[in-house]
Amino acid sequence: MQSLGIDVLLKGSNFLRLLTGLWTAVRISLISVAISIALGILAGMLMTSKSTLVKVLMRVYLEIVRIMPQMVLLFIVYFGTTRVFGLNLEAETAAIIVFTFWGTAEMGDLVRGALISIPRIQYESAAALGMSETAAFRYVILPQTVRRLIPLSINLITRMIKTTSLVMMIGIVEVLKVGQQIIEANRKTSPNAAFGVFAVVFLMYFLICWPVSRLAARLEKRWA
Amino acid sequence: MDMSVINSYIPLYRDALLLTLRIGWQGVFWAFIIGLGCTLIRQLRIPVLRGVVTVYVELLRNTPLLVQLFFLYFALPKIGIRISAEVCGSLGLGLLGGAYMAETFRSGLDNIAPVQEESALSLGMSRYQTLRYVIFPQAASASMAGILANVIFLLKETSVFSVISLMDLMFTAKDLIGMYAKTIECLTLLVMFYLIMLLPVSLLGTVLERRLRFAEFGN
Amino acid sequence: MKKIRKNTIIAALTALGLGAALASPALADESFRTLDEIKESGTINIGVFSDKSPFGYVGENGDYQGYDVYLAEHLGEDLGVEINYVSTEAANRIEYLQTGKVDIILANFTVTPERAEEVDFALPYMNVALGVVSPEDAVIESLDDIGEDDQVIVISGTTAETYLVKNNPEIKLQKYDAYAEAKTAFENGNGVAWANDNTEVIAFSIENEGYVVGIPSLGSADTIAPAVTKGNETLLNWLNEEIVALGEENFFHADYEATLLDTYGADYEDTLVIEGGAVAGSETEAE
Repeated sequence: MQSLGIDVLLKGSNFLRLLTGLWTAVRISLISVAISIALGILAGMLMTSKSTLVKVLMRVYLEIVRIMPQMVLLFIVYFGTTRVFGLNLEAETAAIIVFTFWGTAEMGDLVRGALISIPRIQYESAAALGMSETAAFRYVILPQTVRRLIPLSINLITRMIKTTSLVMMIGIVEVLKVGQQIIEANRKTSPNAAFGVFAVVFLMYFLICWPVSRLAARLEKRWA
Repeated sequence: MDMSVINSYIPLYRDALLLTLRIGWQGVFWAFIIGLGCTLIRQLRIPVLRGVVTVYVELLRNTPLLVQLFFLYFALPKIGIRISAEVCGSLGLGLLGGAYMAETFRSGLDNIAPVQEESALSLGMSRYQTLRYVIFPQAASASMAGILANVIFLLKETSVFSVISLMDLMFTAKDLIGMYAKTIECLTLLVMFYLIMLLPVSLLGTVLERRLRFAEFGN
Repeated sequence: MKKIRKNTIIAALTALGLGAALASPALADESFRTLDEIKESGTINIGVFSDKSPFGYVGENGDYQGYDVYLAEHLGEDLGVEINYVSTEAANRIEYLQTGKVDIILANFTVTPERAEEVDFALPYMNVALGVVSPEDAVIESLDDIGEDDQVIVISGTTAETYLVKNNPEIKLQKYDAYAEAKTAFENGNGVAWANDNTEVIAFSIENEGYVVGIPSLGSADTIAPAVTKGNETLLNWLNEEIVALGEENFFHADYEATLLDTYGADYEDTLVIEGGAVAGSETEAE
């Protein structure tokens, strides 16, 4: 049996390059998550708005995000925007826009879920106690909502990281692409490197996402 | 936009839609079976297998499908396991979906008060009967929206199939753009076909979600 | 039933919104940067392959290498700008130029009349035709050797794909996005043969044991040239002058010797290299 490619990763700076590639993916997802959480809170409040127009618009937005694969959105934003608006986006910017567009809807839906899960009676009690609507929101609703939201937002991070693997398709050199380049550069000397390289990439994603999703699960249990 | 271009591309997109649906639904089918299997193992608390299920669910839920497909399709043949692209697609979706379904079923089950299980057992029902007649029917209806969300998620995930040479909708669009550079037409058709494929499922999900007040999508 | 109606409205709006976003007319035709703009910015974006050795690939330490890259490096030097390499796939090359994401494509881009409608090609620097490589224990020596259920590997957006789709629609193609994927799949035995530029499949058969190029030349004799966004005359003219000037110092022979000699030996040097944009015997146009 020939080597399965682990040795290839130890050659030169290959392992470091893989890590750099991974960081590219993680960086894009962290930026996107941060913006998504901020915008998502706003979106969630809009989704619970009493105005039918706002509600319908938000519903359409959610529906688009739900139906269109992120891959399709990436292509439309990366190539389509230049054609339609003449905006020339860097691949990374395009990726952040798409993931934020998606993340905001996800986050918004979570916020909406958290907001409507707070029993009506709490709003009424707060009003009965003479609190203004803002005060009720600030002191009664918000703290509970946030508590429910934190684990869900942490979960969003892992989903975002997993989704960023798609950016290789619009030419961003992230971990998978680096992996392919390494396989390519060593095809002659270790033709089986694909096994080791892809196994390691697989494990890398797991080692990043797993602790984060464990944390989310633990918080969810504690704060449920 | 050039209508004649669109008309000439429609048959190719239709083929791609059929392939996407065929492999997508095979994947959904396996996801369902695997998810049920995992749930059964967990509920019956079968030793060892329970551990395997946990490892499987955590591994698959915490890695991207793209990486999983690369591993299945490009890495496994290096140790002598060769799977055809189509099988790889439905198997990949099935394995990923199975892990998600298992979690959805679990959260459906968690919503059922333990007292129901205790009552059923004290009525003399076996563990299996309790699961089959008391717990599962309720859990299934409570998980409905979650299951549909998983279905949409899985059908959308087919968009990465280009890496394993499957001519799904996304790859058809990319391929045509590469050959004939009619970007706007290709992307418009792509969007239209995804709408045709997923809008009905998504709306069904919305209706169910409203009815069951069960929100969870896309994860 | 009110709910159903609302959902229909939502569905219609969703479809409309997406449709409108796409259908709006293309406003930006001039999405390229002129020669002066590139010089001013201090960086040129060049699209190359990162997985097509020995023409464009990423070496051991993460730096771009190969025949195309050797030329790119020189262009950067002569322009006095930094090079930002953009890793492209075959199917994206036209798109990258048309959306101005790169200034020049140097990704082993074969000149064809169809492509020339979408982008502007400069003078050629390499000869190419199509070729088919297969495992030595089941060599494909003619397209007729390919069975009804056999699949031939091609890369999406390459001339090999277009050629087979047009001339041999009965052959089943197994398409991949990227060279890296196609080659690994071919090694894994997923197809009976791999059709691509003959230069590339010859390199593959030399570098990897157990493969033979059963069909060394297929289709017309074509050339490979740098490409720029359609209408980018300043850059195009500069490139043409540059290629002619480079010919005087036998630059492309030096390029060959630096990047391809290890793979091909000296035998292919004169058949492969085009010096100064002058194709031996005839016009540059294919067919």
